[in-house]
Amino acid sequence: MIQLEYFLLLAAALFCIGIYGLVTSRNVIRVLMSIELMLNAVNLNLMAFSNYLDPASATGQVFTVFVITIAAAEASVGLAIVLSIYRNRDTVDMEQFNLLKW
Amino acid sequence: MDFSALAAQLNAGAILPEGIVIITLITVLVGDLIGGRASSRWTPYLAIAGLFAAIVALVYQWDTANPIAFLGGFNSDALSVVFRGIIVLSAMITVPMSIRYVEQSGTSLAEFIVILMTATLGGMVLSGADELVTIFVALETLSISSYLLTGYMKRDPRSNEAALKYLLIGAASSAIFLYGVSLLYGLSGGQTRLSAIAAQLAADSSDAPIGLVVALVFVIAGIAFKIAAVPFHQWTPDVYEGSPTPVVAFLSVGSKAAGFALAIRLLVSVFPLVSEQWHFVFTALAILSMVLGNVVALAQTSMKRLLAYSSIAQAGFVMIGLIVGTEAGYASMVFYLLVYLFMNLGGFTCVILFSLRTGTDQISEYSGLYQKDPLLTLGLSICLLSLGGIPPLAGFFGKLYIFWAGWQAGAYGLVLVGLITSVISIYYYIRVIKMMVVKEPQEMSDSVKNYPPMRWNLPGMRPLQVSLVVALVATSLAGILSNPLFTLANDSITHTPLLKAAIAEQAAAMVSHTETVETIAIAPQ
Amino acid sequence: MTLAEGVQLVSFGLLAAMMIAAALGVVLLSNIVYSAFLLGIVFVSISGMYVLLNAGFVAAAQILIYVGAVNVLILFGIMLVNKREDFAPVRRAWLGKVATGAVCLGLFALLSTMVLGTPWALSSEAAIGDGATVMIGLHFFSDFLLPFELASVLLLIALVGAIILARREFIPDEMPQDTVGDALKLPERPRELVPASRDGAES
Repeated sequence: MIQLEYFLLLAAALFCIGIYGLVTSRNVIRVLMSIELMLNAVNLNLMAFSNYLDPASATGQVFTVFVITIAAAEASVGLAIVLSIYRNRDTVDMEQFNLLKW
Repeated sequence: MDFSALAAQLNAGAILPEGIVIITLITVLVGDLIGGRASSRWTPYLAIAGLFAAIVALVYQWDTANPIAFLGGFNSDALSVVFRGIIVLSAMITVPMSIRYVEQSGTSLAEFIVILMTATLGGMVLSGADELVTIFVALETLSISSYLLTGYMKRDPRSNEAALKYLLIGAASSAIFLYGVSLLYGLSGGQTRLSAIAAQLAADSSDAPIGLVVALVFVIAGIAFKIAAVPFHQWTPDVYEGSPTPVVAFLSVGSKAAGFALAIRLLVSVFPLVSEQWHFVFTALAILSMVLGNVVALAQTSMKRLLAYSSIAQAGFVMIGLIVGTEAGYASMVFYLLVYLFMNLGGFTCVILFSLRTGTDQISEYSGLYQKDPLLTLGLSICLLSLGGIPPLAGFFGKLYIFWAGWQAGAYGLVLVGLITSVISIYYYIRVIKMMVVKEPQEMSDSVKNYPPMRWNLPGMRPLQVSLVVALVATSLAGILSNPLFTLANDSITHTPLLKAAIAEQAAAMVSHTETVETIAIAPQ
Repeated sequence: MTLAEGVQLVSFGLLAAMMIAAALGVVLLSNIVYSAFLLGIVFVSISGMYVLLNAGFVAAAQILIYVGAVNVLILFGIMLVNKREDFAPVRRAWLGKVATGAVCLGLFALLSTMVLGTPWALSSEAAIGDGATVMIGLHFFSDFLLPFELASVLLLIALVGAIILARREFIPDEMPQDTVGDALKLPERPRELVPASRDGAES
């Protein structure tokens, strides 16, 4: 039988990979992808808890649906901002965005 | 569950103010769609009217008999009413000051107002949210519309860059917050309502389980980002410098107030088990914010960056109230935020006026302004002095109340740090005023020399003037006539069952301070 | 161990390996297009996990929204900012990477201690299975009604805002200042005037 802990460990690993990507990426779009990885780790957590601790009422599944919705909105806004900065600056390199002191 | 029973349980009347904001927002959006460019004559005023109606509705919500709505998802208690009021009020003052700014930048006004009102809506729901999913959705509504507002001047590379940094840091911090929230959901065995989580955690736990501590740390990362506490403040100066000034005004008051509302509700109701830990973390955050905010502000050359660091420091002062956790502590938070609303918005209105005329935010460009524009100089001076805490302005009484509450509760170290850093802060506020007032005519900066004559009849200038005057009058009078505000702040705490229970617990924990808790109702003189 | 459980375990192992490998690829590969496709694999394998967790509806939603919308959006984003860009090397970048890696490993160690050390209150109730779809609908219209409605406003505004930010506007370089009449006009040039070469040069 698959244990709850397996899923939680997997989610923790995914979350840490996401954080690594968030900090080390130079390309803005990769940073956005890393954030998606982190949100997916959260979703996996929620779904695992929902299945093992609260199987009858599916609250965790509802939560996950909300997270998916909002992640989509966030991704679209993020890409819109990336597009507008790319038009003005002609680069997607994080290190080049130094007009404001970081 | 049939429909009428469900409708009664939903108690949707509790979100009437939010409903008014949504209806106004959609009317503005559709009106702009139909009316085209000409509609920008009336949309801002409609928005102001709608926000005012929301405030009126909030007044009627005060002390409602049945505050719990949406089956426990939303709590319209006095605390949430007061915080929602602060957020709506800040939006209501921000709209008139943005009309001219947005028009002059050549972007469309109606969408700006719509996004601003969505941010307001998110902040309002966040202040009352009593359940994890609602908290998350409201937090993201506030954040995503803030990202959009920050990047609204899309032809300005600095605005783009500010939006990008805000988005990346904000999205990362909300993902971390969400991880903490998912742990809370698991630790409580599948509960999402805050009270149920707290009950479940208290029922089945030993002291301070590691899972709860990890969840606490993750959740604090999300909250500290919203209230811009050091070391989660990295985004603040950049975002404040790059984004459109009216947006900064809203972020520095409305968004911050929403963050504090979330902090109070979440920490007090869910984490009493690890209360020692979160008090420790917040003490560290408060000290760091006060010291770093005030010290780094000394070195700033841009007015907006100066105000950014000053807002970080002010957040540190407000946190003292949260840490002491007495009735006076919470009341002083609310009181300070109310006062801060007016003085900070007033300051930003002056900065907007100056940058509309001269196109710069550099502090050195302000030199000699008194010769050309005494009204602006007076306004900015009053607001800065009030932020610095000079009597008899409102900011002085706000700080006094917070420090008094801290002293009464025995947080001597924090209060001392606060006192010393606010003395430092007076220096950099006075420096700006000195720059404006004392300089001789020949030392005037170039932009002041070329200062265009005052033209209040341009479209959008009247509302700007109105919001300047309102903020100024409130800042100067709130100091002298502060009693109604004191009463409001105190009532909002005493009428909130959640805080009453928490305060009682705190009092029981600190037996030595029982006497202070009883003498709390007296306002500091 | 019954056969079904064995199948479950094996598929879990496969999905987990696929997910971790793809996620590492997303953050480590230098070509951003590969990363984007690997991100799709991560999403698909997570959706497989959801099936293992008795949540068919959310698994379908995961595929539809993450793979069908978010991932495609990211690919579009990559296409639109498609510029072969060799990032100027930052000195001692590896040091930062090693430090970050160490911190992330430490975080993982902390989280796994927490996961293994916490006595989770496992429930013995039967999983709701396919009835979850009905249950989710019930939740949306009862206790999660407020976030549901708020999310609709949020989606509307994200739509409006993303269009505003991403739309090209062509503005004369100098805005007329302080002229009342011009301030109320839509400051946009007709589309034809735009040189197409800007796009051509970038690709």
